[in-house]
Amino acid sequence: MTVKWIGKRMMMGVVVLLVVSFLSFFIMHAAPGDPATAFYGGNAQTLNAAEKERISRVFSLDRPITAQYGSWLVETLKGNLGISYKEGRPVITILRERLPNTLLLFGVTMFFIIVGSVWLGTIAGMKAGSILDKGLSILSIATSSIPAFWLGILFISFFAVKLGVLPSSGTGEIGGEGGFWDKLRYLILPATVIIFTHVGIFARFLQENIKDESRKYYVTVARANGVTEREIRKGILHNASFPYLNYIGMTIPSFFGGSIIVESLFSWNGLGQLTIKSVVTKDFPLLMGSILLIGMLVVISLFIIDFLMYSLNPKLRKGGVQ
Amino acid sequence: MKSRKMLAFWCIVLGIIVFSTVFSGNLAPYEPNDMNLDEVYLSPGDGHLLGTDHLGRDVFSRLLGGGKVTLTVATVSVLLSLVLGVLYGGFSGYVGGIVDTALMRLLEVFITIPSLIIILSFQAFMQGGMWSMALIIGVTGWLSTARIVRSEFIRLKEAEFVQMAKMFGTPIWKIIISHLLKNSVPAIFVVTLFNFANAIFIEVSLSFLGIGVPPAIPSWGNMLYYAQNDILIGAWWIGLYPGILIFITILAINFIGEALKDPERRRFSA
Repeated sequence: MTVKWIGKRMMMGVVVLLVVSFLSFFIMHAAPGDPATAFYGGNAQTLNAAEKERISRVFSLDRPITAQYGSWLVETLKGNLGISYKEGRPVITILRERLPNTLLLFGVTMFFIIVGSVWLGTIAGMKAGSILDKGLSILSIATSSIPAFWLGILFISFFAVKLGVLPSSGTGEIGGEGGFWDKLRYLILPATVIIFTHVGIFARFLQENIKDESRKYYVTVARANGVTEREIRKGILHNASFPYLNYIGMTIPSFFGGSIIVESLFSWNGLGQLTIKSVVTKDFPLLMGSILLIGMLVVISLFIIDFLMYSLNPKLRKGGVQ
Repeated sequence: MKSRKMLAFWCIVLGIIVFSTVFSGNLAPYEPNDMNLDEVYLSPGDGHLLGTDHLGRDVFSRLLGGGKVTLTVATVSVLLSLVLGVLYGGFSGYVGGIVDTALMRLLEVFITIPSLIIILSFQAFMQGGMWSMALIIGVTGWLSTARIVRSEFIRLKEAEFVQMAKMFGTPIWKIIISHLLKNSVPAIFVVTLFNFANAIFIEVSLSFLGIGVPPAIPSWGNMLYYAQNDILIGAWWIGLYPGILIFITILAINFIGEALKDPERRRFSA
């Protein structure tokens, strides 16, 4: 049963990745302008027709699209993502340099968001009607309405420009040995911005779930039968955690999208900043590579969350047993 | 009662913002792109209500003019995604069966892809004007609408009055439009409202990164894009006010959406 379930989920992930690869490839293909000219850069006007054709042939640009997609996919599966137009280095090397930074930012922010929202949401949800309960509802809407990058600008102007206590951008001291503490100092501002704009709305979701759950019949029955308050709370939390996990899964795609913007605001040396940079410089191989990698990250994180839900929720595990 | 007052308050706030941006041509004291190099980086004060930027342009006038651009892009894209979502979701929900399953699986795949990624890859070669921007946001924003429309259609399809109408031989298009679609309007409205907030977010973010609306057109995102440098030299007012305005606009939309959503939910769950 479990094996079958994992297989099904994996298939779904593969389909998603295929669609992502399709999109990235065909969108790039539809791009106007001659790739040969783009490759040649600033002096493209000096190219004559024969030279252009030669470049096209060297890069197999004269073959049909489907053949191009096919061979591109085969090479991609082998781990060859091509060579960046601008940097002249293999895309996979560049991606490998950037990935740890993005994972660090993602991991740290996700950890604090989950811890913070579970803490806030549980307290607020368990005390329905209290000041905290009402306050969180309003506060969560307010914090999630702040554009993250604007908050980032404010933070930079306050902490970096006015107080000068934290660095405004980058991933580490230039020329420094790049130790852990050094990186941490640079992590504080971007991570705070992301956590601050997300934690409220996550907490609110959990809070609403706990409140819905507490109103249910089984809670009343348990209370009437003298089950201890602690046991009841445990049950409510357990049941409210499934929609919460599901919610995290649903927001992960947009979460990655949001971190792209924060990353490039703080020049955080991650995938998001790389994506924006490759859009601006029209570095298509790099853009395709980073889109694929981000797609993969999303699929993997969704898989982990699905797996968590599956192992926690007996209803899912037992399949269609009614 | 209290929540109705809140709703009215936020509606008025949003109304004022929309009104003043729509009539920005008459309300703004200066042209949004009027440069005056004698008056660069003026702090907020007389003459220029909210100060001037690095080219001596009046920040207040640019705020109003920029709001017009931002809100137009958001409106057009939301209308587009509304149409797409209603068509896709309506078709899926009405036909049902295998078609519905297949379409919903496809939708799941689309939802998994961060929409910003799709928009970015389009922007890589479509860096046109504000209309192409609206088009891209609209094309990527219909997924949640489609989901809602589909579930509404499935719920309503089984309702007695629809079954009755079918029995009387009411033409299909009439059932779809005046029974199914009309009764899903409240739910569609709420999801569209949230889409609207989201569209503003995306426009602002992309323009802020310098890959959205072209720099010549003032928009809230573009203003923040230039403000990045100005803030480093201490001209805080250039970056502060557009952000506050974006914040208030999105806040108003979210509060209106929440207020409208709540009675809905109570009615459905009862």
